Amino acid sequence: MKRTMYISLLFTGCLLGIMLAFQFRTNTGYVQQERPDVLTQELKQLEQDYQVLLAEATDLEKSLKQIEQGGNQTYEVLQNELQKVRYAAGLEPVTGTGVVVVMDNMSTTKRTDYDPSLFSITYEDILRLVNELRAAGASAISINGERLVSTSEIRNAGKFIDVNLTRLTTPYEIKAVGDPKKLASSLQITGGLVDTLKEWSILVTVTTKEEVTVPAYTTPLDFDYAKPLKEGKDQ
Amino acid sequence: MKLKEYHWAIALVAMLFGLMLGVQFQLTSDSHQDDPSSERTEKLAKQIEDKKAALKQLQSNVEQMRQQLDEATARPELGRLKKRLEEVGIMAGTVAVEGPGIEVTLNDSSIALKPGQNPNLYVLHDEDVLKVLNELKAAGAEALAINDQRLTATSEIRCIGPTILTNGNKRLAAPFVITAIGNPDTLDSALFMKGGVAEQLKSWGIQISANKLERVIIPSYSGAISYYVNGGEQA
Repeated sequence: MKRTMYISLLFTGCLLGIMLAFQFRTNTGYVQQERPDVLTQELKQLEQDYQVLLAEATDLEKSLKQIEQGGNQTYEVLQNELQKVRYAAGLEPVTGTGVVVVMDNMSTTKRTDYDPSLFSITYEDILRLVNELRAAGASAISINGERLVSTSEIRNAGKFIDVNLTRLTTPYEIKAVGDPKKLASSLQITGGLVDTLKEWSILVTVTTKEEVTVPAYTTPLDFDYAKPLKEGKDQ
Repeated sequence: MKLKEYHWAIALVAMLFGLMLGVQFQLTSDSHQDDPSSERTEKLAKQIEDKKAALKQLQSNVEQMRQQLDEATARPELGRLKKRLEEVGIMAGTVAVEGPGIEVTLNDSSIALKPGQNPNLYVLHDEDVLKVLNELKAAGAEALAINDQRLTATSEIRCIGPTILTNGNKRLAAPFVITAIGNPDTLDSALFMKGGVAEQLKSWGIQISANKLERVIIPSYSGAISYYVNGGEQA
């Protein structure tokens, strides 16, 4: 009698344990999912990146075939490759559709609402603006003729800013090549950057253009610290 | 009765058992309900996963071809051209680099929030990361990466919830590790000078620390470079 009791208790205990484990699993199984709109955006971006990479793959295939033919082809292929990389690095001027953004401080005499020393354009505003343009897919950006490359800084210099070690003064004219609609709307979205800047009485105009030319970066390349990673020496 | 104590225990266990059975049943039936929005999310998540896998496959193909191209062009008479290609590639981000530098780690605030405080003030924003990167560029960083994502002239920094989105589709999770190649002392002091970026971030409790390193490895940009031919965007 006592034994059956123990056995049934044991059995119940085991079942309880298993259920507890299951319950725990189903509960943690609720992985936090992103919202559908975020996912859709991500998917769209992936699709786009895939297409770009596919074009690159096709191009590389062509180059490799060309090299197989030997002779002067190899030199040509390398030249072609160099040209591509020069564009990516920002060493060539780029012309295409895009936007032109002009930012300026309102003349101090006209301003009564805000303290002009606090609410004039800062390097942070431009940093944000440029980031928005990049996020909207800008492929080339310049500020007052200074091309932004991977090492370009936007430095606070009192009332002005320094870009590529060059002093820039207001008005700031930012040119970006890319999809004009996307670029413009990323800035002009309600509650976006343009809205905020206007609230501070900073003058901002965004114009979409059929043709914008962003100049090349002209400072000679000089790397004192960065060296190409040698194969095999890794780790 | 001798068994009285047992009875109580069994009754208690049985009650617990019943309760759990009920909860479990409800939970499972809940999660199996045809929730169109969760179904949509699942479907999208699946598509994203597939696309990511395809992209990764294509990526390795492209990398392989790039290497083939590199090997096929390893001829002494092409040395000068290849050297130039490498140099420009450092700027464009297509060449992996090594050199002395700094490793900066950023993380959300560790300050315990008091009730009523705005938690938004104590998390890392795009701007914080942008400022750190900008400061490093101003201090002469020659190559930069965040969580091993090479930053190019067109890389954006997007905070989405607790993650950062960069280079279009690369989603990064905290802690964010920024690596930069350049003069370690200059880079370090640019961040940690009095009134500098680190001080500002620290006042929000955001955790920032840096390590000066003799050798930093920064990988190449993994995406395709979009390039232009005759002024028009090709890819």
